[in-house]
Amino acid sequence: MAKSGTIKPDDFSEEISAQRLKSSLWYTIITVLILSCFLVPLQDGNLSFMFSLMMWVTLATGINFIAGFTGYMPFGYVAFYGIGTYVTAILVKVLGVSEYLAVPAAGLSGILLALLFAPTLRLNGIFFAIVSLSLAVVCQRLMSLLPEEITGGSHGLNLGVATDRTHGYYAMLIIMFVALVSASWLGQSRLGKALKAIRDDPDAADAMGIHVSRVRLYAWIMSAFFAALAGGAQAWFTGALDPITAFDVLITAKTVIYAMAGGLGTIIGPVVGTVTLVWIDEIVWQQFPVLNNFLLGLIITLLILFMPRGVVGSLMQHFPHLRKYIM
Amino acid sequence: MIPKIVLQLKGLNKSFGGLLAVKNVDMLVNESSISGLIGINGAGKTTLMNCISGIYRADSGSLDIMGVSCLNWSPHDIARLGVGRTFQIPRIFKRINLIDNVMVPALNDNTDNKTLYERATECLDKVKLYDLRHNNAEELSGGQQKLLELARIMMFNPRIILLDEPFAGVNPTLCRLMIERIKELKEQGKSFLLVSHDLTSIYQLSDHIYVLNQGQVISEGNVDYVRNDPEVIEAYLGNA
Ligand SMILES: Nc1ncnc2c1ncn2[C@@H]1O[C@H](COP(=O)(O)OP(=O)(O)OP(=O)(O)O)[C@@H](O)[C@H]1O
Ligand SMILES: [Mg+2]
Repeated sequence: MAKSGTIKPDDFSEEISAQRLKSSLWYTIITVLILSCFLVPLQDGNLSFMFSLMMWVTLATGINFIAGFTGYMPFGYVAFYGIGTYVTAILVKVLGVSEYLAVPAAGLSGILLALLFAPTLRLNGIFFAIVSLSLAVVCQRLMSLLPEEITGGSHGLNLGVATDRTHGYYAMLIIMFVALVSASWLGQSRLGKALKAIRDDPDAADAMGIHVSRVRLYAWIMSAFFAALAGGAQAWFTGALDPITAFDVLITAKTVIYAMAGGLGTIIGPVVGTVTLVWIDEIVWQQFPVLNNFLLGLIITLLILFMPRGVVGSLMQHFPHLRKYIM
Repeated sequence: MIPKIVLQLKGLNKSFGGLLAVKNVDMLVNESSISGLIGINGAGKTTLMNCISGIYRADSGSLDIMGVSCLNWSPHDIARLGVGRTFQIPRIFKRINLIDNVMVPALNDNTDNKTLYERATECLDKVKLYDLRHNNAEELSGGQQKLLELARIMMFNPRIILLDEPFAGVNPTLCRLMIERIKELKEQGKSFLLVSHDLTSIYQLSDHIYVLNQGQVISEGNVDYVRNDPEVIEAYLGNA
Protein backbone atom coordinates (compact mmCIF):
# COMPACT_ATOMS: atom_id res chain seq x y z
CA MET A 1 0.00 0.00 0.00
CA ALA A 2 1.18 3.46 -0.80
CA LYS A 3 1.92 5.85 2.01
CA SER A 4 0.73 9.42 1.91
CA GLY A 5 3.00 11.73 -0.01
CA THR A 6 4.09 9.25 -2.65
CA ILE A 7 2.73 11.25 -5.58
CA LYS A 8 5.40 11.77 -8.17
CA PRO A 9 5.74 15.39 -9.27
CA ASP A 10 5.92 14.53 -12.97
CA ASP A 11 2.86 12.32 -12.88
CA PHE A 12 0.93 14.38 -15.37
CA SER A 13 3.70 14.57 -17.94
CA GLU A 14 4.00 10.78 -17.66
CA GLU A 15 0.29 10.57 -18.33
CA ILE A 16 0.66 12.82 -21.36
CA SER A 17 3.43 10.68 -22.82
CA ALA A 18 1.32 7.60 -22.18
CA GLN A 19 -1.50 9.25 -24.15
CA ARG A 20 0.95 10.05 -26.95
CA LEU A 21 2.06 6.43 -27.09
CA LYS A 22 -1.54 5.28 -27.39
CA SER A 23 -2.33 7.84 -30.06
CA SER A 24 0.74 7.04 -32.12
CA LEU A 25 -0.18 3.36 -32.30
CA TRP A 26 -3.72 4.25 -33.21
CA TYR A 27 -2.74 6.79 -35.85
CA THR A 28 -0.34 4.27 -37.39
CA ILE A 29 -3.24 1.88 -37.80
CA ILE A 30 -5.44 4.61 -39.30
CA THR A 31 -2.72 5.70 -41.69
CA VAL A 32 -2.04 2.18 -42.95
CA LEU A 33 -5.76 1.58 -43.40
CA ILE A 34 -6.42 4.87 -45.17
CA LEU A 35 -3.38 4.52 -47.43
CA SER A 36 -4.22 1.01 -48.51
CA CYS A 37 -7.82 1.98 -49.19
CA PHE A 38 -6.65 5.07 -51.04
CA LEU A 39 -4.36 3.15 -53.36
CA VAL A 40 -6.76 0.38 -54.37
CA PRO A 41 -8.61 2.21 -57.17
CA LEU A 42 -5.27 3.32 -58.61
CA GLN A 43 -3.95 -0.24 -58.55
CA ASP A 44 -7.03 -1.73 -60.13
CA GLY A 45 -7.64 -3.73 -56.98
CA ASN A 46 -10.85 -5.26 -55.72
CA LEU A 47 -12.88 -2.09 -55.40
CA SER A 48 -16.07 -3.68 -54.08
CA PHE A 49 -14.27 -5.62 -51.38
CA MET A 50 -12.38 -2.59 -50.16
CA PHE A 51 -15.51 -0.48 -50.31
CA SER A 52 -17.40 -2.86 -48.06
CA LEU A 53 -14.42 -3.08 -45.73
CA MET A 54 -14.51 0.69 -45.28
CA MET A 55 -18.27 0.64 -44.86
CA TRP A 56 -18.08 -1.98 -42.10
CA VAL A 57 -15.26 -0.15 -40.35
CA THR A 58 -17.40 3.00 -40.36
CA LEU A 59 -20.51 1.20 -39.13
CA ALA A 60 -18.63 -0.69 -36.41
CA THR A 61 -16.97 2.50 -35.24
CA GLY A 62 -20.32 4.28 -35.36
CA ILE A 63 -22.18 1.68 -33.31
CA ASN A 64 -19.31 1.77 -30.82
CA PHE A 65 -20.28 5.34 -29.91
CA ILE A 66 -23.60 4.19 -28.54
CA ALA A 67 -23.01 0.52 -27.72
CA GLY A 68 -19.41 0.64 -26.54
CA PHE A 69 -19.50 4.00 -24.81
CA THR A 70 -22.96 3.95 -23.24
CA GLY A 71 -23.92 0.27 -23.21
CA TYR A 72 -27.04 0.66 -25.38
CA MET A 73 -27.37 -1.99 -28.08
CA PRO A 74 -29.46 -0.69 -30.99
CA PHE A 75 -30.59 -3.76 -32.90
CA GLY A 76 -32.26 -1.40 -35.36
CA TYR A 77 -29.05 0.46 -36.14
CA VAL A 78 -29.64 -0.29 -39.82
CA ALA A 79 -32.48 2.25 -39.81
CA PHE A 80 -29.95 5.07 -39.92
CA TYR A 81 -27.99 3.42 -42.67
CA GLY A 82 -31.17 2.76 -44.66
CA ILE A 83 -32.38 6.33 -44.31
CA GLY A 84 -28.98 7.48 -45.51
CA THR A 85 -29.19 5.38 -48.67
CA TYR A 86 -32.73 6.55 -49.41
CA VAL A 87 -32.16 10.24 -48.77
CA THR A 88 -29.12 10.16 -51.04
CA ALA A 89 -30.87 8.26 -53.81
CA ILE A 90 -34.01 10.39 -53.70
CA LEU A 91 -32.04 13.63 -53.71
CA VAL A 92 -29.95 12.47 -56.65
CA LYS A 93 -32.56 10.71 -58.72
CA VAL A 94 -35.75 12.65 -58.04
CA LEU A 95 -34.43 16.11 -57.27
CA GLY A 96 -31.25 16.03 -59.32
CA VAL A 97 -29.02 17.13 -56.45
CA SER A 98 -25.30 16.43 -56.73
CA GLU A 99 -24.00 13.46 -54.74
CA TYR A 100 -21.54 15.76 -53.04
CA LEU A 101 -24.48 17.48 -51.36
CA ALA A 102 -26.76 14.48 -51.14
CA VAL A 103 -24.46 12.42 -48.91
CA PRO A 104 -23.97 15.15 -46.26
CA ALA A 105 -27.74 15.67 -46.37
CA ALA A 106 -28.09 11.95 -45.71
CA GLY A 107 -25.91 12.42 -42.62
CA LEU A 108 -28.24 15.18 -41.42
CA SER A 109 -31.26 12.96 -42.00
CA GLY A 110 -29.59 10.39 -39.75
CA ILE A 111 -29.31 13.02 -37.03
CA LEU A 112 -32.98 13.98 -37.43
CA LEU A 113 -34.04 10.35 -37.20
CA ALA A 114 -31.87 9.94 -34.11
CA LEU A 115 -33.62 12.91 -32.49
CA LEU A 116 -36.97 11.43 -33.43
CA PHE A 117 -36.01 8.12 -31.83
CA ALA A 118 -34.36 9.80 -28.83
CA PRO A 119 -37.27 9.02 -26.45
CA THR A 120 -36.43 5.32 -26.82
CA LEU A 121 -33.22 6.01 -24.88
CA ARG A 122 -35.39 6.17 -21.76
CA LEU A 123 -35.80 2.42 -22.06
CA ASN A 124 -32.90 0.27 -21.13
CA GLY A 125 -31.41 -3.11 -21.81
CA ILE A 126 -33.41 -5.52 -23.89
CA PHE A 127 -36.44 -3.18 -24.12
CA PHE A 128 -34.40 -0.58 -25.93
CA ALA A 129 -32.94 -3.22 -28.25
CA ILE A 130 -36.37 -4.55 -29.21
CA VAL A 131 -37.99 -1.16 -29.76
CA SER A 132 -35.01 -0.13 -31.84
CA LEU A 133 -35.40 -3.24 -33.97
CA SER A 134 -39.08 -2.62 -34.56
CA LEU A 135 -38.48 1.00 -35.50
CA ALA A 136 -36.10 -0.21 -38.21
CA VAL A 137 -38.86 -2.44 -39.56
CA VAL A 138 -41.26 0.51 -39.50
CA CYS A 139 -38.79 2.56 -41.54
CA GLN A 140 -38.46 -0.25 -44.06
CA ARG A 141 -42.24 -0.54 -44.49
CA LEU A 142 -42.56 3.21 -44.78
CA MET A 143 -40.09 3.28 -47.67
CA SER A 144 -41.97 0.63 -49.61
CA LEU A 145 -45.34 2.28 -48.93
CA LEU A 146 -44.39 5.83 -49.91
CA PRO A 147 -45.41 6.93 -53.44
CA GLU A 148 -43.51 5.05 -56.09
CA GLU A 149 -42.34 8.22 -57.84
CA ILE A 150 -40.34 9.07 -54.74
CA THR A 151 -38.99 5.90 -53.19
CA GLY A 152 -39.61 3.47 -56.05
CA GLY A 153 -41.90 1.38 -53.84
CA SER A 154 -40.85 -2.18 -53.19
CA HIS A 155 -38.57 -2.19 -56.25
CA GLY A 156 -36.44 0.62 -54.94
CA LEU A 157 -34.48 3.10 -57.00
CA ASN A 158 -31.87 2.72 -59.69
CA LEU A 159 -29.45 5.57 -60.18
CA GLY A 160 -27.97 3.84 -63.21
CA VAL A 161 -25.01 5.49 -64.89
CA ALA A 162 -25.76 8.76 -63.15
CA THR A 163 -23.26 7.91 -60.40
CA ASP A 164 -19.54 7.44 -60.53
CA ARG A 165 -18.33 4.43 -58.52
CA THR A 166 -14.85 5.77 -57.88
CA HIS A 167 -16.21 8.99 -56.45
CA GLY A 168 -18.54 7.01 -54.22
CA TYR A 169 -15.55 4.97 -53.14
CA TYR A 170 -13.55 8.02 -52.12
CA ALA A 171 -16.57 9.49 -50.37
CA MET A 172 -16.67 6.36 -48.23
CA LEU A 173 -12.96 6.75 -47.57
CA ILE A 174 -13.45 10.29 -46.30
CA ILE A 175 -16.40 9.25 -44.17
CA MET A 176 -14.40 6.43 -42.62
CA PHE A 177 -11.56 8.82 -41.93
CA VAL A 178 -13.83 11.32 -40.18
CA ALA A 179 -15.42 8.50 -38.15
CA LEU A 180 -12.03 7.25 -37.01
CA VAL A 181 -10.81 10.72 -36.10
CA SER A 182 -14.03 11.38 -34.17
CA ALA A 183 -13.51 8.10 -32.35
CA SER A 184 -10.01 9.06 -31.29
CA TRP A 185 -11.21 12.45 -30.17
CA LEU A 186 -14.00 10.83 -28.15
CA GLY A 187 -11.59 8.30 -26.69
CA GLN A 188 -9.61 11.08 -25.06
CA SER A 189 -12.22 13.72 -24.38
CA ARG A 190 -14.12 14.43 -21.20
CA LEU A 191 -17.32 13.54 -23.06
CA GLY A 192 -15.89 10.07 -23.65
CA LYS A 193 -15.07 9.70 -19.96
CA ALA A 194 -18.58 10.78 -19.01
CA LEU A 195 -20.07 8.29 -21.48
CA LYS A 196 -18.04 5.41 -20.08
CA ALA A 197 -19.11 6.34 -16.58
CA ILE A 198 -22.73 6.26 -17.75
CA ARG A 199 -22.19 2.88 -19.34
CA ASP A 200 -20.80 1.43 -16.11
CA ASP A 201 -23.38 2.99 -13.77
CA PRO A 202 -25.86 5.58 -15.01
CA ASP A 203 -27.33 6.30 -11.57
CA ALA A 204 -23.97 6.92 -10.00
CA ALA A 205 -22.95 9.15 -12.93
CA ASP A 206 -26.20 11.08 -12.48
CA ALA A 207 -25.51 11.53 -8.77
CA MET A 208 -22.06 12.88 -9.71
CA GLY A 209 -23.65 15.70 -11.69
CA ILE A 210 -23.53 14.20 -15.19
CA HIS A 211 -26.62 15.08 -17.23
CA VAL A 212 -27.07 11.47 -18.30
CA SER A 213 -29.81 11.81 -20.90
CA ARG A 214 -28.15 14.75 -22.63
CA VAL A 215 -24.70 13.21 -22.77
CA ARG A 216 -26.13 9.93 -24.00
CA LEU A 217 -27.98 11.80 -26.73
CA TYR A 218 -24.68 13.13 -28.09
CA ALA A 219 -23.38 9.60 -28.47
CA TRP A 220 -26.63 8.51 -30.08
CA ILE A 221 -26.46 11.34 -32.62
CA MET A 222 -22.84 10.62 -33.51
CA SER A 223 -23.69 6.98 -33.93
CA ALA A 224 -26.62 7.69 -36.24
CA PHE A 225 -24.74 10.31 -38.23
CA PHE A 226 -22.00 7.94 -39.38
CA ALA A 227 -24.41 5.13 -40.20
CA ALA A 228 -26.45 7.48 -42.40
CA LEU A 229 -23.33 8.78 -44.12
CA ALA A 230 -22.19 5.22 -44.77
CA GLY A 231 -25.59 4.47 -46.27
CA GLY A 232 -25.30 7.53 -48.47
CA ALA A 233 -21.91 6.48 -49.80
CA GLN A 234 -23.27 2.98 -50.39
CA ALA A 235 -26.07 4.38 -52.58
CA TRP A 236 -23.54 6.46 -54.46
CA PHE A 237 -21.19 3.52 -54.96
CA THR A 238 -23.70 0.88 -56.00
CA GLY A 239 -26.18 3.16 -57.72
CA ALA A 240 -29.12 1.00 -56.74
CA LEU A 241 -31.19 0.30 -53.67
CA ASP A 242 -34.36 -1.37 -52.48
CA PRO A 243 -36.12 -1.45 -49.11
CA ILE A 244 -35.22 -5.07 -48.33
CA THR A 245 -31.47 -4.71 -48.63
CA ALA A 246 -31.28 -1.12 -47.38
CA PHE A 247 -32.96 -2.06 -44.08
CA ASP A 248 -31.66 -5.62 -43.81
CA VAL A 249 -31.30 -6.59 -40.12
CA LEU A 250 -28.25 -8.57 -41.15
CA ILE A 251 -26.46 -5.24 -41.53
CA THR A 252 -27.01 -4.48 -37.85
CA ALA A 253 -26.06 -8.03 -36.93
CA LYS A 254 -22.79 -7.90 -38.81
CA THR A 255 -21.97 -4.46 -37.45
CA VAL A 256 -22.54 -5.64 -33.90
CA ILE A 257 -20.54 -8.83 -34.41
CA TYR A 258 -17.57 -7.06 -35.98
CA ALA A 259 -17.48 -4.40 -33.27
CA MET A 260 -17.94 -6.94 -30.46
CA ALA A 261 -15.32 -9.31 -31.84
CA GLY A 262 -12.74 -6.56 -31.68
CA GLY A 263 -13.94 -5.05 -28.44
CA LEU A 264 -16.71 -2.52 -27.86
CA GLY A 265 -15.70 0.41 -25.70
CA THR A 266 -12.17 0.56 -27.03
CA ILE A 267 -11.38 2.72 -30.04
CA ILE A 268 -9.14 0.22 -31.79
CA GLY A 269 -11.36 -2.81 -31.11
CA PRO A 270 -14.12 -2.30 -33.69
CA VAL A 271 -11.55 -1.52 -36.39
CA VAL A 272 -9.42 -4.57 -35.63
CA GLY A 273 -12.50 -6.79 -35.35
CA THR A 274 -13.95 -5.59 -38.63
CA VAL A 275 -10.79 -5.80 -40.67
CA THR A 276 -10.02 -9.29 -39.36
CA LEU A 277 -13.50 -10.73 -39.76
CA VAL A 278 -14.24 -9.16 -43.14
CA TRP A 279 -10.97 -10.60 -44.34
CA ILE A 280 -11.59 -14.04 -42.86
CA ASP A 281 -15.05 -13.92 -44.40
CA GLU A 282 -13.54 -13.24 -47.81
CA ILE A 283 -10.96 -16.02 -47.51
CA VAL A 284 -13.48 -18.56 -46.25
CA TRP A 285 -15.79 -17.52 -49.07
CA GLN A 286 -13.10 -18.12 -51.69
CA GLN A 287 -11.78 -21.40 -50.25
CA PHE A 288 -14.90 -23.06 -48.92
CA PRO A 289 -17.91 -21.46 -50.60
CA VAL A 290 -20.21 -24.14 -49.22
CA LEU A 291 -19.02 -23.88 -45.65
CA ASN A 292 -18.82 -20.09 -45.65
CA ASN A 293 -21.60 -19.28 -43.19
CA PHE A 294 -20.95 -22.34 -41.07
CA LEU A 295 -17.28 -21.55 -40.53
CA LEU A 296 -17.92 -17.89 -39.95
CA GLY A 297 -20.64 -18.70 -37.42
CA LEU A 298 -18.27 -21.05 -35.64
CA ILE A 299 -15.50 -18.48 -35.43
CA ILE A 300 -17.88 -15.87 -34.09
CA THR A 301 -19.39 -18.24 -31.52
CA LEU A 302 -15.95 -19.19 -30.23
CA LEU A 303 -14.89 -15.58 -30.08
CA ILE A 304 -17.91 -14.47 -28.07
CA LEU A 305 -17.66 -17.50 -25.80
CA PHE A 306 -14.01 -17.19 -24.93
CA MET A 307 -13.52 -13.47 -25.36
CA PRO A 308 -16.77 -11.78 -24.37
CA ARG A 309 -15.02 -8.43 -24.37
CA GLY A 310 -13.60 -9.01 -27.83
CA VAL A 311 -10.01 -9.58 -28.84
CA VAL A 312 -8.75 -6.16 -27.83
CA GLY A 313 -10.93 -5.97 -24.71
CA SER A 314 -9.78 -9.36 -23.47
CA LEU A 315 -6.14 -8.55 -24.09
CA MET A 316 -6.54 -5.43 -22.00
CA GLN A 317 -8.34 -7.36 -19.28
CA HIS A 318 -5.74 -10.12 -18.98
CA PHE A 319 -2.59 -8.18 -19.76
CA PRO A 320 -2.91 -4.90 -17.85
CA HIS A 321 0.46 -3.65 -19.10
CA LEU A 322 -1.01 -3.56 -22.63
CA ARG A 323 -3.49 -0.90 -21.53
CA LYS A 324 -0.95 1.80 -22.04
CA TYR A 325 -0.76 0.99 -25.75
CA ILE A 326 -4.42 0.56 -26.49
CA MET A 327 -6.88 3.36 -27.01
CA MET B 1 -23.71 32.47 16.68
CA ILE B 2 -26.63 30.67 15.12
CA PRO B 3 -25.37 27.91 12.83
CA LYS B 4 -26.35 28.10 9.19
CA ILE B 5 -28.77 25.44 7.99
CA VAL B 6 -27.65 23.81 4.75
CA LEU B 7 -30.25 21.08 4.44
CA GLN B 8 -33.78 21.00 5.73
CA LEU B 9 -36.43 18.32 5.33
CA LYS B 10 -40.05 18.82 6.35
CA GLY B 11 -42.75 16.17 6.46
CA LEU B 12 -41.06 13.90 3.96
CA ASN B 13 -43.05 10.82 2.92
CA LYS B 14 -42.09 7.99 0.63
CA SER B 15 -43.96 4.75 0.10
CA PHE B 16 -43.41 1.66 -2.00
CA GLY B 17 -46.81 0.25 -2.85
CA GLY B 18 -48.47 -0.08 0.54
CA LEU B 19 -45.24 0.17 2.51
CA LEU B 20 -44.49 3.56 4.05
CA ALA B 21 -40.69 3.50 4.01
CA VAL B 22 -40.26 7.11 5.13
CA LYS B 23 -42.94 8.68 7.29
CA ASN B 24 -43.26 12.40 7.92
CA VAL B 25 -39.56 12.99 8.51
CA ASP B 26 -38.24 16.39 9.60
CA MET B 27 -34.53 16.93 9.58
CA LEU B 28 -31.94 19.72 9.79
CA VAL B 29 -28.29 19.63 8.84
CA ASN B 30 -26.08 22.55 9.88
CA GLU B 31 -23.08 23.89 8.07
CA SER B 32 -19.80 22.29 9.03
CA SER B 33 -21.43 19.55 11.08
CA ILE B 34 -22.01 15.84 11.04
CA SER B 35 -25.51 14.48 11.48
CA GLY B 36 -25.67 10.79 12.19
CA LEU B 37 -28.60 8.71 11.00
CA ILE B 38 -29.08 5.34 12.64
CA GLY B 39 -31.74 2.66 12.76
CA ILE B 40 -32.16 -1.07 12.29
CA ASN B 41 -32.13 -2.80 8.89
CA GLY B 42 -35.04 -1.65 6.80
CA ALA B 43 -35.65 1.44 8.93
CA GLY B 44 -35.65 3.66 5.83
CA LYS B 45 -32.21 5.28 6.01
CA THR B 46 -31.16 4.55 2.43
CA THR B 47 -34.61 5.44 1.12
CA LEU B 48 -34.37 8.82 2.87
CA MET B 49 -30.98 9.43 1.30
CA ASN B 50 -32.28 8.46 -2.12
CA CYS B 51 -35.11 10.97 -1.75
CA ILE B 52 -32.66 13.73 -0.88
CA SER B 53 -30.33 12.97 -3.76
CA GLY B 54 -33.19 12.72 -6.25
CA ILE B 55 -32.84 9.03 -7.06
CA TYR B 56 -36.31 8.35 -5.63
CA ARG B 57 -39.28 10.66 -6.00
CA ALA B 58 -40.74 11.49 -2.62
CA ASP B 59 -44.55 11.42 -2.29
CA SER B 60 -44.81 14.63 -0.31
CA GLY B 61 -42.92 16.98 1.95
CA SER B 62 -40.32 19.61 1.29
CA LEU B 63 -36.58 19.70 0.82
CA ASP B 64 -34.46 22.82 1.10
CA ILE B 65 -30.81 22.80 0.22
CA MET B 66 -28.97 26.02 0.94
CA GLY B 67 -32.19 27.92 0.66
CA VAL B 68 -33.27 26.32 -2.60
CA SER B 69 -36.45 24.30 -2.54
CA CYS B 70 -35.52 21.25 -4.57
CA LEU B 71 -37.69 18.25 -3.74
CA ASN B 72 -37.74 15.70 -6.57
CA TRP B 73 -35.20 17.45 -8.72
CA SER B 74 -33.16 15.15 -10.90
CA PRO B 75 -30.01 13.70 -9.32
CA HIS B 76 -27.61 15.72 -11.48
CA ASP B 77 -29.36 18.97 -10.55
CA ILE B 78 -29.18 18.07 -6.87
CA ALA B 79 -25.51 17.25 -7.39
CA ARG B 80 -24.92 20.62 -9.00
CA LEU B 81 -26.52 22.30 -6.00
CA GLY B 82 -23.57 20.89 -4.08
CA VAL B 83 -24.74 17.56 -2.73
CA GLY B 84 -22.52 14.51 -3.13
CA ARG B 85 -23.14 10.99 -1.95
CA THR B 86 -21.72 7.53 -1.64
CA PHE B 87 -23.70 4.32 -1.91
CA GLN B 88 -24.32 1.51 0.56
CA ILE B 89 -23.28 -1.00 -2.08
CA PRO B 90 -20.36 0.77 -3.77
CA ARG B 91 -21.24 2.09 -7.21
CA ILE B 92 -17.99 2.58 -8.98
CA PHE B 93 -17.33 2.80 -12.71
CA LYS B 94 -16.06 -0.71 -13.26
CA ARG B 95 -14.35 -0.60 -16.59
CA ILE B 96 -12.42 2.64 -16.31
CA ASN B 97 -9.32 3.22 -14.21
CA LEU B 98 -9.25 4.80 -10.78
CA ILE B 99 -8.10 8.19 -12.01
CA ASP B 100 -10.95 8.42 -14.48
CA ASN B 101 -13.37 7.17 -11.81
CA VAL B 102 -12.36 9.96 -9.47
CA MET B 103 -12.48 12.55 -12.26
CA VAL B 104 -16.13 11.91 -13.16
CA PRO B 105 -17.71 14.44 -10.76
CA ALA B 106 -15.30 17.13 -11.98
CA LEU B 107 -15.76 16.63 -15.73
CA ASN B 108 -18.00 19.71 -15.93
CA ASP B 109 -15.52 21.87 -14.04
CA ASN B 110 -13.83 24.69 -15.83
CA THR B 111 -10.33 23.49 -14.95
CA ASP B 112 -7.58 22.37 -17.27
CA ASN B 113 -6.69 18.70 -17.62
CA LYS B 114 -3.46 19.03 -15.70
CA THR B 115 -5.12 20.44 -12.59
CA LEU B 116 -7.88 17.87 -12.85
CA TYR B 117 -5.39 15.05 -13.11
CA GLU B 118 -3.32 16.28 -10.21
CA ARG B 119 -6.34 16.73 -8.00
CA ALA B 120 -7.50 13.21 -8.88
CA THR B 121 -4.17 11.67 -7.93
CA GLU B 122 -4.16 13.65 -4.67
CA CYS B 123 -7.61 12.36 -3.77
CA LEU B 124 -6.53 8.80 -4.52
CA ASP B 125 -3.45 9.29 -2.42
CA LYS B 126 -5.55 10.47 0.52
CA VAL B 127 -7.31 7.11 0.65
CA LYS B 128 -4.13 5.13 -0.14
CA LEU B 129 -5.22 4.03 -3.57
CA TYR B 130 -2.58 5.97 -5.46
CA ASP B 131 -0.51 2.92 -6.37
CA LEU B 132 -3.51 1.30 -8.00
CA ARG B 133 -4.41 4.40 -10.01
CA HIS B 134 -4.03 2.73 -13.40
CA ASN B 135 -6.11 -0.31 -12.47
CA ASN B 136 -9.70 -0.64 -13.53
CA ALA B 137 -12.11 -0.17 -10.66
CA GLU B 138 -13.53 -3.67 -11.06
CA GLU B 139 -10.17 -4.97 -9.89
CA LEU B 140 -10.60 -3.47 -6.41
CA SER B 141 -11.79 -5.34 -3.33
CA GLY B 142 -15.09 -4.40 -1.74
CA GLY B 143 -13.42 -2.30 0.93
CA GLN B 144 -11.19 -0.57 -1.60
CA GLN B 145 -14.29 0.31 -3.60
CA LYS B 146 -15.62 2.12 -0.52
CA LEU B 147 -12.37 4.05 -0.35
CA LEU B 148 -12.63 4.90 -4.04
CA GLU B 149 -16.10 6.32 -3.42
CA LEU B 150 -14.66 8.50 -0.67
CA ALA B 151 -11.91 9.70 -3.01
CA ARG B 152 -14.52 10.48 -5.64
CA ILE B 153 -16.51 12.54 -3.15
CA MET B 154 -13.39 14.48 -2.18
CA MET B 155 -12.82 15.24 -5.85
CA PHE B 156 -16.43 16.30 -6.16
CA ASN B 157 -15.93 18.74 -3.31
CA PRO B 158 -19.64 19.32 -2.57
CA ARG B 159 -20.97 21.41 0.31
CA ILE B 160 -23.09 18.55 1.65
CA ILE B 161 -21.99 14.94 1.72
CA LEU B 162 -24.31 11.98 2.24
CA LEU B 163 -22.47 8.84 3.29
CA ASP B 164 -24.36 5.54 3.31
CA GLU B 165 -22.49 2.96 5.38
CA PRO B 166 -19.00 4.20 4.49
CA PHE B 167 -17.27 1.89 6.99
CA ALA B 168 -18.96 -1.40 6.10
CA GLY B 169 -16.33 -3.94 5.10
CA VAL B 170 -13.40 -1.58 5.63
CA ASN B 171 -10.68 -2.80 7.99
CA PRO B 172 -10.10 -0.91 11.28
CA THR B 173 -6.93 0.87 10.16
CA LEU B 174 -8.51 2.21 6.99
CA CYS B 175 -11.68 2.98 8.96
CA ARG B 176 -9.63 5.25 11.17
CA LEU B 177 -8.17 6.82 8.04
CA MET B 178 -11.67 7.44 6.70
CA ILE B 179 -12.74 8.98 10.00
CA GLU B 180 -9.74 11.30 9.85
CA ARG B 181 -10.67 12.36 6.32
CA ILE B 182 -14.28 12.98 7.32
CA LYS B 183 -13.17 15.13 10.26
CA GLU B 184 -10.82 17.07 7.98
CA LEU B 185 -13.61 17.75 5.52
CA LYS B 186 -15.87 18.90 8.32
CA GLU B 187 -13.19 21.31 9.49
CA GLN B 188 -13.13 22.68 5.94
CA GLY B 189 -16.82 23.51 6.31
CA LYS B 190 -18.50 20.48 4.75
CA SER B 191 -21.73 19.13 6.21
CA PHE B 192 -22.45 15.44 6.49
CA LEU B 193 -25.38 13.12 6.77
CA LEU B 194 -23.83 9.88 7.90
CA VAL B 195 -25.57 6.50 7.96
CA SER B 196 -23.79 3.69 9.74
CA HIS B 197 -24.37 0.59 11.84
CA ASP B 198 -21.00 1.19 13.42
CA LEU B 199 -22.33 3.00 16.51
CA THR B 200 -18.89 3.64 17.96
CA SER B 201 -17.86 5.65 14.91
CA ILE B 202 -21.21 7.39 14.68
CA TYR B 203 -21.09 8.41 18.35
CA GLN B 204 -17.52 9.56 17.93
CA LEU B 205 -18.20 11.67 14.84
CA SER B 206 -21.71 13.05 15.08
CA ASP B 207 -22.75 16.45 16.35
CA HIS B 208 -26.39 15.44 16.20
CA ILE B 209 -28.10 12.08 15.77
CA TYR B 210 -31.41 11.05 14.23
CA VAL B 211 -32.82 7.62 15.01
CA LEU B 212 -35.12 6.15 12.41
CA ASN B 213 -37.50 3.28 13.07
CA GLN B 214 -40.05 2.03 10.54
CA GLY B 215 -39.56 5.21 8.56
CA GLN B 216 -40.14 7.56 11.49
CA VAL B 217 -37.76 9.65 13.54
CA ILE B 218 -38.20 8.19 17.00
CA SER B 219 -35.45 10.17 18.67
CA GLU B 220 -33.00 12.94 17.96
CA GLY B 221 -30.46 14.93 19.86
CA ASN B 222 -26.82 14.94 20.82
CA VAL B 223 -24.92 11.72 21.35
CA ASP B 224 -25.46 11.48 25.09
CA TYR B 225 -29.16 12.10 24.81
CA VAL B 226 -29.74 9.56 22.08
CA ARG B 227 -27.70 6.70 23.49
CA ASN B 228 -29.59 6.91 26.77
CA ASP B 229 -33.04 7.38 25.25
CA PRO B 230 -35.14 4.37 26.36
CA GLU B 231 -37.03 4.41 23.06
CA VAL B 232 -33.79 3.98 21.15
CA ILE B 233 -32.60 1.19 23.40
CA GLU B 234 -35.97 -0.47 22.98
CA ALA B 235 -35.86 -0.15 19.17
CA TYR B 236 -32.32 -1.46 18.92
CA LEU B 237 -32.34 -4.17 21.59
CA GLY B 238 -36.05 -4.57 22.30
CA ASN B 239 -37.62 -7.51 20.55
CA ALA B 240 -34.37 -8.88 19.18
N1 LIG C 1 -36.89 0.10 -4.41
C1 LIG C 1 -37.67 -0.39 -3.44
N2 LIG C 1 -38.83 -1.00 -3.74
C2 LIG C 1 -39.63 -1.48 -2.76
N3 LIG C 1 -39.34 -1.40 -1.46
C3 LIG C 1 -38.20 -0.79 -1.10
C4 LIG C 1 -37.30 -0.26 -2.05
N4 LIG C 1 -36.24 0.28 -1.41
C5 LIG C 1 -36.46 0.08 -0.10
N5 LIG C 1 -37.65 -0.56 0.10
C6 LIG C 1 -38.23 -0.90 1.40
O1 LIG C 1 -38.19 0.24 2.20
C7 LIG C 1 -37.82 -0.08 3.53
C8 LIG C 1 -36.63 0.74 3.94
O2 LIG C 1 -35.49 0.32 3.19
P1 LIG C 1 -34.09 1.05 3.28
O3 LIG C 1 -33.22 0.49 2.23
O4 LIG C 1 -34.32 2.50 3.28
O5 LIG C 1 -33.59 0.58 4.70
P2 LIG C 1 -32.23 0.93 5.46
O6 LIG C 1 -32.60 1.67 6.69
O7 LIG C 1 -31.29 1.59 4.54
O8 LIG C 1 -31.73 -0.51 5.86
P3 LIG C 1 -30.26 -1.13 5.92
O9 LIG C 1 -29.71 -0.77 7.25
O10 LIG C 1 -30.50 -2.58 5.82
O11 LIG C 1 -29.50 -0.57 4.80
C9 LIG C 1 -37.57 -1.58 3.56
O12 LIG C 1 -38.69 -2.20 4.11
C10 LIG C 1 -37.43 -1.96 2.12
O13 LIG C 1 -37.96 -3.23 1.89
MG1 LIG D 1 -29.52 1.07 3.70
